[in-house]
Amino acid sequence: MDRPMAVELTATSPEQTRARYPDDSGYIERDGVRVHYEVYGSGEPTVLLLPTWSLIHSRHWKMQIPYLARHCRVVTFDGRGNGRSDRPKGLEAYDEREYAADALAVMDETKTDRAVIVGFSMGGQRGLLLAAEQPERIEGAVFIGPSFIGGGDSLPERAVYDFDTEYDALEGWAKHNRFHWLRDYRDWVEFFVSKMFTEAHSTKAIEDAVGWGLETDAETMLATQDAAGLTPEESRVLCRRVRCPVLVIHGADDAIQSETRSAAMAEQIGAQLVILEGSGHAPHVRDPVQVNLLIRDFLDSLR
Amino acid sequence: MIVAAPPREQTRARYPDESGDIERDGVRLYYEVYGSGETTVLLLPTWALIHSRHWKMQIPYLARHCRVVTFDGRGSGRSERPRGAEAYAIREFALDSLAVLDATATERAVIVGVSCAALWGVLLAAEHPERIAGAAFICPAVSLAPPWPERIVYSFDEPLGTDEGWAKYNIHHWLSDYRDFLEFFVGKCFTEPHSTKQIEDTIDWALETTPEVLADHDAGIALPLGVDFHELCRRIRCPVLVLHGNRDELHPLARGAALAQATGGQLVTLEGSGHFPQARDPVQVNLLIREFLESLR
Repeated sequence: MDRPMAVELTATSPEQTRARYPDDSGYIERDGVRVHYEVYGSGEPTVLLLPTWSLIHSRHWKMQIPYLARHCRVVTFDGRGNGRSDRPKGLEAYDEREYAADALAVMDETKTDRAVIVGFSMGGQRGLLLAAEQPERIEGAVFIGPSFIGGGDSLPERAVYDFDTEYDALEGWAKHNRFHWLRDYRDWVEFFVSKMFTEAHSTKAIEDAVGWGLETDAETMLATQDAAGLTPEESRVLCRRVRCPVLVIHGADDAIQSETRSAAMAEQIGAQLVILEGSGHAPHVRDPVQVNLLIRDFLDSLR
Repeated sequence: MIVAAPPREQTRARYPDESGDIERDGVRLYYEVYGSGETTVLLLPTWALIHSRHWKMQIPYLARHCRVVTFDGRGSGRSERPRGAEAYAIREFALDSLAVLDATATERAVIVGVSCAALWGVLLAAEHPERIAGAAFICPAVSLAPPWPERIVYSFDEPLGTDEGWAKYNIHHWLSDYRDFLEFFVGKCFTEPHSTKQIEDTIDWALETTPEVLADHDAGIALPLGVDFHELCRRIRCPVLVLHGNRDELHPLARGAALAQATGGQLVTLEGSGHFPQARDPVQVNLLIREFLESLR
């Protein structure tokens, strides 16, 4: 079902007002790439809200930060490629392991020995790396609509078109294509974001995410797309290595990632899987109260 | 417009502690009571287009702090839909309100009303000072200041050669395509971005009544009141608060300002708000109502 872009953008940068502002913020620098982080609240534990795909930046956690920071310490950062972080050239800079290394550097800089990580979509990949390889630093992990390729199936409509083939017709997922990104980046952003939010009455969420998407560009997004991600086999091996408690959350109406991916990830890790009826790919944006309570319950279970 | 809400009533954040029907002058009216406490707020009905669920963002909040009474105005919701203009005269709504206060054993109440609720609200406050402790009017549809010029271009009764824009506010168009009128009109109620949920709710509620009833209601409002409205405003002795959106496309801010001036009330301009700020900016409206309630103590 193609949902037309029903939104006239009413908000653009500069940044909107926030319900809560960071108590501390700054930059780390790794190999010449500056990454912007923020710290909210205090106490135990620390929740590290991971960056997702660089299409959007850390403001996608805006409905989590004010709530979680009333109960614990919250650290987040803009993934390289968007927000206040650098947009380095070249696909090497966007290797999945670079994001995981940025996370550790942010933890070091903010004096965070251990954290519970929460990752959305692509955040599931860097989060899986961290949970598997840094057991002494990661106490638990929550993955929301994770991009997991170690099992399950992709959505059938996403397998129709090839990313690297130039098409004439540009309907639906045909827009998810290298040539189209370069030709009409905004059109792709609007399409993709409309697929992120399948819930009714999502105009505000769509407007926000399109606005964030326009803070980066096609070249940067292509670099993230072409960079080395986890292979299916790597993903499965990493799952077997995870020892900390894990919660996987997936929207039943997710039009970006198949529920079978989350189910496979949860099964391979031995994690709890929660399916949210009526939710799309980003339930933390569109159904924040429910997701916040799930995260908090999970945090409480770790005590 | 894709209407995604189910036809059955949605779940509520809070359910009434008491509800019932009264009958006045042969018309059955449905009321609800929430919470308890010394102050009672009576949330008035407005145009029969919508029923008391238009207060859904106020009820759960206010009922934590005081007692809340509301009812479906005649012609809407679970109340009866009598026919004929006389049944919808302004005074009928004032008398219905008093009957609900009686039925719920409410001696005095602070009234809150949206849009044309100000018509019967002013009548109540002016003529029944012993029952009305204060009055808050949101985007009042009072003719103390001129209407938007585009609203008086077309005849309501005559067949028109067009159904563009405000030409949809026409009985022939209502009868031939009620829904089309609703989508236009409700769109004008919510000028704020990201109002799809409020628009959908309002259209759904409006589909629970008929264009015939709305036409009767308009005709009833137009019947002579027997007393000068401006004079009524000046007779009001209780505190008055007027909230008006500066992006109200149904009734200009000047109308709210004129009502505040005529009643000696306080005017608060809601920046960026349309005609139904209680639905679209409920936190701000709720806090203003609560401050007003506290100022009465």
